[in-house]
Amino acid sequence: MKRQQRIFCYLMVAPALLFTIVLGIYPMLASLQMSFLEFDLIRVREHGTPFVGLRNYITVMQDERFVQTVINTVLFTAIAVSTVVAMGLLFSQLLSANFRGRTFVRMLVCVPWFVPPVVAAAIWMWLLNTDRSPINFLLREWGWIDTNIKFLTDKNTWGPFSIPMLSVAAVRVWNGLPFVVIFLLAGLQSIPRDLYEAAEVDGATLLQKFRYITLPLLRPVLVVLLILLTMTGLGHFEINFIMTGGGPQNLTNIMAVYSYNEAFTFFRFDTGSAASGLILILTGIICVFYIRSQAKAVGP
Amino acid sequence: MPCNTHTCRDGAARRHFKHLGLATGVSAVAIVAAATFSPVPAQAQKIEFWTQHYGDLIAWREVIAGLVEDFEAESGIEVQHEIVNWSQAFNTWLTVAQGGAAPDCADMFWLHSFSGIGGEEFGPRPITEFRDRWPNLEDEFFTGSLQDVNWEGEFYGIPWRVDIRPILYRTDLFAEAGLAAPDTWEDLVTASKALTKRDGNGNVERWGYSFGPGNAGQALVPYYWQAGGDFMTEDGSTATIDNEAMRTALSWMRDMVHEHKVVTPEFMEKGHEPFDEFVAGTVAMIGSVPVAWPARIAREFPELEGKWALAIAPQGPEDRDTYSGAGYFGVLRGSENVEACVQWLEFLSRDDSMQRLSEGTGNVNPKRAVMATDFWGDTEWKQTLTATLENGRTSQHPSPVWNALIAPQPGAVIYDMMYSGIVEQEDLEELLPAAEKNMQAEMDRAN
Repeated sequence: MKRQQRIFCYLMVAPALLFTIVLGIYPMLASLQMSFLEFDLIRVREHGTPFVGLRNYITVMQDERFVQTVINTVLFTAIAVSTVVAMGLLFSQLLSANFRGRTFVRMLVCVPWFVPPVVAAAIWMWLLNTDRSPINFLLREWGWIDTNIKFLTDKNTWGPFSIPMLSVAAVRVWNGLPFVVIFLLAGLQSIPRDLYEAAEVDGATLLQKFRYITLPLLRPVLVVLLILLTMTGLGHFEINFIMTGGGPQNLTNIMAVYSYNEAFTFFRFDTGSAASGLILILTGIICVFYIRSQAKAVGP
Repeated sequence: MPCNTHTCRDGAARRHFKHLGLATGVSAVAIVAAATFSPVPAQAQKIEFWTQHYGDLIAWREVIAGLVEDFEAESGIEVQHEIVNWSQAFNTWLTVAQGGAAPDCADMFWLHSFSGIGGEEFGPRPITEFRDRWPNLEDEFFTGSLQDVNWEGEFYGIPWRVDIRPILYRTDLFAEAGLAAPDTWEDLVTASKALTKRDGNGNVERWGYSFGPGNAGQALVPYYWQAGGDFMTEDGSTATIDNEAMRTALSWMRDMVHEHKVVTPEFMEKGHEPFDEFVAGTVAMIGSVPVAWPARIAREFPELEGKWALAIAPQGPEDRDTYSGAGYFGVLRGSENVEACVQWLEFLSRDDSMQRLSEGTGNVNPKRAVMATDFWGDTEWKQTLTATLENGRTSQHPSPVWNALIAPQPGAVIYDMMYSGIVEQEDLEELLPAAEKNMQAEMDRAN
């Protein structure tokens, strides 16, 4: 590449890089640095911000609530990612078929994407309120239930699972589905039609075509999608924060909400930063896989 | 020599330029001289003033603009007004208290926390040296509101709005059940039991009572006071929640949930917000209701006219103290325009200015003269609000960690104590000593 071309490329990338550094990387590093200091807003005036090594990390790891949030975060991510990808595969298959009104249905599937997660969370909070839920009302009308389901407040658990966890995960799936469908739809459309036609000539069933053509050819797209969803899933914040604030009894609390509350509710920026530092480590590990998969895709 | 047209015109032009040059020179000298020799003004001529907004944004801007205009005409001090969105307010003032960009003066809240965080460097600035500008403060303002502008012996500003919390109840449902307005804890129990309604399967169609708005931590405060308790010592150094008053308050609240079954057991969960349910008639009564709610019902739900009323907070076993919190106008540390800001605060604290602020926003005003006007006496609910002010007690406590203690989140000491004691019905004899120990550990962060 000529020197001038290289300079042009750098210039094109520079604004995005600058924003990423200033708004993404710098705050991330500052937060990481804070996690190794004593940074208690209530004490900072008297005690300053002395270096404390890994003490904040040890403190949060010894906090039972935090340990539960780590488990919850992993579970939420697993439930939401697996469900949304499974549903995404189904919907994208349906939407790639030719039928009347396809454009309208595609638009309909995209609707949740137009609703910001904050608004979606507020709407679903109302829809899932024990006493006011229209869903409960319908279920009672149809005779399916006698007493209202406590979608967001039931404290009964089955192992680590609970109704509030599944309800919040369902909202996250609802909100994330359009992105997955569009992603997979784009992948599906890149698969040559003649492969399916050849399979049909060989008498392949619908499931066989899916198993032996669609899935293998979608694999690169699926890997990237799974990694991206897992990364964003681990750092997810707003829907859990707004709908339940982590309750009842910490059953829906996740690492990002814990981190926020430590810093902005309890004024402990040090342990809040340590909690977000652990999110960073987790997403960092996933990120390595993502970069490796991308590097493989591009080739040497 | 007589001139022709050209030479005359040239001469006139030259003279014109000469005059212009002379005038410019004289003006320049005059400006330089004025700048050099005129006395330095006694105060800066421009101050930056931040407020949150109240009610309608445009109406709020107009109220402040009108006050600014009058003040500028009177004092010559320019006030630059900026609005802090409520959704950003907490983080904004937290940033200010840590040394972030700050205005000269502002509409503020949570004095104790932000002062504690900012210390002597940032955040709210005491204006004790100007205290004598308001010689009759104690007589002119309701006592409860003044607790919100004093901390550690220093005076920080002028309260201008109060969130005072009386009882809100449905008069139509009370009339149906033949009940009188509640006045004591016992009345609340009796009325709530009569008004709670369930279907054949036990699903609640109407709750008789709700302790208060969504913030669960705040719900306990008035009941604990009414039972005779104080959360901490006056100097904010020692936690005092392991006592008979707390046992009484928590037991009473627990009984309302589990024994009388008149309050939803979900009252501490995030989605609990009884306003809509009250409007829909599925909650009959809310104790400790935020001051904005009655005004909102009157404004937005005309169909409910004559179907609701306010009552003064109930008499508990010991007291009738009512949850209250005042927003105040104060000065920020780092301002070089303190004198100008104090003049602005003096202007804002006048009866006329307070009246305009109160009428323009619908906020209850801490000044007795304002609350005695027709505006606050034209309806029964407004009269009740005014009467309730006499029992107002600030919700702020003399510790910078108070807002962390009372936060409506799991992990906050008071929230966890309430959840265990009321919702989970744990043994108070074991719970309270542990809760007090936790609270003390939190408070020791500031000591």
